[in-house]
Amino acid sequence: MAKVLVVDDEPNIVLSLEFLMEQAGFEVVTAEDGEQALEQVSAASPDLLLLDISLPGMSGFDVLERLRSQDATAQLPIIMLTAHGRDVEREKGMALGADDYITKPFSTQSLVEKVKALLAEDQP
Amino acid sequence: MTRGGLPKRQRLIGLWLILSGISLLGGAIFAAWLDAQLAPTGMTRLALWLGSFSGGATIFLVGLLLERMLFTPLRHLQVQLARLVANPDARDEHPPEGWLKALGPDLRRVRESWRVDRSRLATAHADGARSAARIRQELETLLQVLETPLLLCDQHRRLMLFNQAAEDFFIGNTGLGLGKRLEALLPVSSLQHALSQLPNDGSPRELLTPCDNRWLKVILRRVPGSDGETLLTFSDATASWSNEMGVRAELANMLTPLRQHTASLTSAADALIQLRHQNDTDTSTLRQRFERVIHEEGTTLGDNVAKIGQLLDDLQHQGERLTPMWSNDFWQALDERLDPEHRLITPVGMPAWFKGDAPALIALFDSLVKQLSAHLPDSGFEGEICLGNKRVYLDLIWRGKALPEHELAEWQHQPLATLPLTPKVADVLRQHASDIWSLADNDGLHARLRMPLPAIERVGAPREPAPPRPEFHDFGIADLPPPDEALANRSLRSLDVVAFDTETTGLELRRGDTVISLGACRVVNARLLASDVFDQKVDPKRPIPPASTVIHGLTDADVAGAPPLDIVLTHFREYIGEAVLLAHNAAFDLLAISHKGVAFDIPVIDTLLISRALDEALDGHDLDSLAQRYDLAFPPGTRHTALGDARVTAELWLALLPRLEARGIDTLEQLLTLQANAFDRQDASAS
Repeated sequence: MAKVLVVDDEPNIVLSLEFLMEQAGFEVVTAEDGEQALEQVSAASPDLLLLDISLPGMSGFDVLERLRSQDATAQLPIIMLTAHGRDVEREKGMALGADDYITKPFSTQSLVEKVKALLAEDQP
Repeated sequence: MTRGGLPKRQRLIGLWLILSGISLLGGAIFAAWLDAQLAPTGMTRLALWLGSFSGGATIFLVGLLLERMLFTPLRHLQVQLARLVANPDARDEHPPEGWLKALGPDLRRVRESWRVDRSRLATAHADGARSAARIRQELETLLQVLETPLLLCDQHRRLMLFNQAAEDFFIGNTGLGLGKRLEALLPVSSLQHALSQLPNDGSPRELLTPCDNRWLKVILRRVPGSDGETLLTFSDATASWSNEMGVRAELANMLTPLRQHTASLTSAADALIQLRHQNDTDTSTLRQRFERVIHEEGTTLGDNVAKIGQLLDDLQHQGERLTPMWSNDFWQALDERLDPEHRLITPVGMPAWFKGDAPALIALFDSLVKQLSAHLPDSGFEGEICLGNKRVYLDLIWRGKALPEHELAEWQHQPLATLPLTPKVADVLRQHASDIWSLADNDGLHARLRMPLPAIERVGAPREPAPPRPEFHDFGIADLPPPDEALANRSLRSLDVVAFDTETTGLELRRGDTVISLGACRVVNARLLASDVFDQKVDPKRPIPPASTVIHGLTDADVAGAPPLDIVLTHFREYIGEAVLLAHNAAFDLLAISHKGVAFDIPVIDTLLISRALDEALDGHDLDSLAQRYDLAFPPGTRHTALGDARVTAELWLALLPRLEARGIDTLEQLLTLQANAFDRQDASAS
């Protein structure tokens, strides 16, 4: 069973995402800030990350950059989630190596599909 | 001395007669001699005598012919040419005659062209001057009505021109004045760099600079083909910046939480829908948690939407198209727009400032008055401004009943065809974040229609417009020597001079008498500027003795509330800028303004000393005598006021200038030397 790490500081959305991902057949771990996310990546070695950009302290961009700079996680599928809808942020996320970028609010259906597609791509 | 041209007539005739006489006489002698020798008879003898006389006769006849056909016409031509040159407008002479007859048309042509050219030349100058004056006047008018504040300064950053809009824009700033340096008006550090880098092709450069609690956007451009002159236009960037930084930024920021909460809400709803299919008791707590999430996020979303609504409202209040308006101006503009039948809006109550889009409001009220007049007698309207909290209410009052709401609602759908894109009344109301309603007055006789509009914090009526053509430009400023050149070598004509005078509580300055009024005016390029004045009453902090009131007419009540001397002197020092001081009997006035804190370490010109130095032999060097001597005009009642006397002193200086120059006193240094000598002599004679 593929493992998804959900990183978001809003407990309300984490609750929903956790449930929806489980319903879609994934094992879910969560983190509520950047430091926790990095710890969880090494502790739980997830197969995919749903990463919010605005996190308290270390930002999502920061987490993304660090993960991409380490060999072990350089290829880890990461989907950025953000409530900022500006084009320039999307561009920045993609430039820093995100695999996809989803603006809040989003359709849960398409999120699940994107996650599945990315995981399938990753493990042919 | 030999001269060309025709020989004298008498000489020609004399020569001709002599030649003819000699020939005839010679012919007669020759004929007599031949007659004696040959003794011819009959026809032969006649032929001999005729042949001998033929030479003389020919000379006589040819001479006669030449005189009539050539010499007389030539002489006449000479007279005509001379007359034509001396007086082109002289009456026409006879046309050329004799063999010169053919020259007639040519001569006429030359004469006519000469006359036409000459009169053209005479009028061309006047026409040119007239047209230059007209162009100048039109340009001046244009500049003065232009709403963009603009300044023109020369290569040394001295102001050569500014318009009315600039005066309004920099109102209260003493740095605006002809000949003053730009740095007196604006902080110069950033400006200096921009000025030094300005391209010469006239392409503009922009910069933001702080000035008097505002941020100004300045557009600078070098005037192409000029002597390094720079045109500056200004706009207040504070408003658009605060807008950008304020409501707009907040609005943009609102979007993020909105997306956040919407995401939580939709995700929770999705989760809840999925839960519905697993209807067992294990999931009931989870279901409750999701329901709570939906409730929380729903409430937060509602709050956020309300906040955005508030922000949009604020944005409309701050809208750039809404400009400050003085209510009396608005009523007047509206009245002018209404068709004559429904005219006559009488503004009542206290006028006030409000914000609005004037053309849209006028179109709206125009439509409204037409709507109202279908119901109501043509008795005119009253316009009143009522003040509310953060809002003013624009009320249109009439004698009659209030309008029912359904009519107003209907009217709000009317298109305003005179406005771009033909908005509806409701659109204009929305643009002003406003609405409109009708209510009956308490007196039971009147009713009013009320439209709330954003108020602005501005007090007092708008400034009276300046006189039609104040002095606002002087291009001679660019010809002044650069400001860093030694002041001493400045020519007197090029000096910036501030003439000043003081009125005091009394003459004993060393025993506590002090200034109650300070007036000054400016002379730039040997021209007295009519409107560039400093005129300030001063609170002497002591009663004004009646004896001195008799002289200057100022009472305690006149100076009540005026600023104290040190404040006035600080402003006066700013007003002087880089000018030199001028006063009549300067010693007294300088003592009056010698005050701790403000230093007047600048050269001082004294018309009293100059007058003494120039006319040692004459008595009467007081201002009144000199004004009479030089026939200086001043409006009645202006003497013995500080500003009035400062003006007379300035006029006196301008009258003394040519006399100084005639004596070779051209520079400030020479003048100060002359003045110092006069002072010494006076001291010597006094002691």
